[in-house]
Amino acid sequence: MARMIYALVSSGEHPENLHSKLQGIQGIGGTELTKVSYESISAIISENEKADFTAEKEKVIEFAGVIEALSQGFTLLPMRFGSIMDSIEELNTMLERNYAKIRQNLDFVENKLEFGLKIFCDPEKITAELSSGIVAGIDHAESITSESGNSVFRDYVNKKLREHRIEELRLKYAETVIAEITEYFTGMNTMHTFRKMVSETNIIDALFLLDKDQKDTLVVAVAEMQKRNPLLSFMLTGPWPPYNFVDKSIK
Amino acid sequence: MRENVVDQSKDITILELLDRVLNKGVILTGDIVISVADIDLVYLGVKLMLSSVETMEQLKSGK
Repeated sequence: MARMIYALVSSGEHPENLHSKLQGIQGIGGTELTKVSYESISAIISENEKADFTAEKEKVIEFAGVIEALSQGFTLLPMRFGSIMDSIEELNTMLERNYAKIRQNLDFVENKLEFGLKIFCDPEKITAELSSGIVAGIDHAESITSESGNSVFRDYVNKKLREHRIEELRLKYAETVIAEITEYFTGMNTMHTFRKMVSETNIIDALFLLDKDQKDTLVVAVAEMQKRNPLLSFMLTGPWPPYNFVDKSIK
Repeated sequence: MRENVVDQSKDITILELLDRVLNKGVILTGDIVISVADIDLVYLGVKLMLSSVETMEQLKSGK
């Protein structure tokens, strides 16, 4: 048996009140949730068999469900699946040792929600749209390379040139969309990260940390961006507990 | 067509969830215990799982 840790929560001045908030929420395998507190922070845990730490899809989803349920009542830092400690004493020591860091992180994410925004494109559709504007350039390249008289070489160069230009245009297109989104979210004063050209179809993978009261504004804004960019598919996920905006490692 | 879009969205959401729970969030350095099930995780879960175990092994060895 070991203690599985689901989340570190802000328990305020009265951690004894946590008990009532935990009622109705069960840990993995129907286990009881309990707390271990130090000053104004608490770890929410359950006592589980080692078998429950096996990363089967169902267990991982169950673990996420517990964190989701906890996030409805607490400001929290979600723990990664598989975070365990053998004893309450060890947990107490860990909370005491990391108190300042945990408190700082909890204050940072208080009243905030995480959202993910993925933007997909249909490569064929985008390529057809973008390549229509580079035919003249390719023709020019053909006139140059044809002087060599080597059609295999010419075809190869033209193919590579076309691919390179389309890639450049796709990147420029993605940057234009990123600029639009960045401008918008800068105005909203949010934390955000962007990865662009993640794959051939996923041109933007963005994460946001927003104030709870900005949620509806975000949904409307993404819907408007979708309307302005019919060649792209916008997929908004969330609200999530702040998995991506916490200081990751504690000892 | 609509069903495909809905199914695709569900798959992506589950992947997002698995990625967060296995690869994000607070980690207790050196105290992670995780087992790999006999059965494979579906979708890209296998990749996610391997990535996660690899990450944890690196953390354990302090790399």
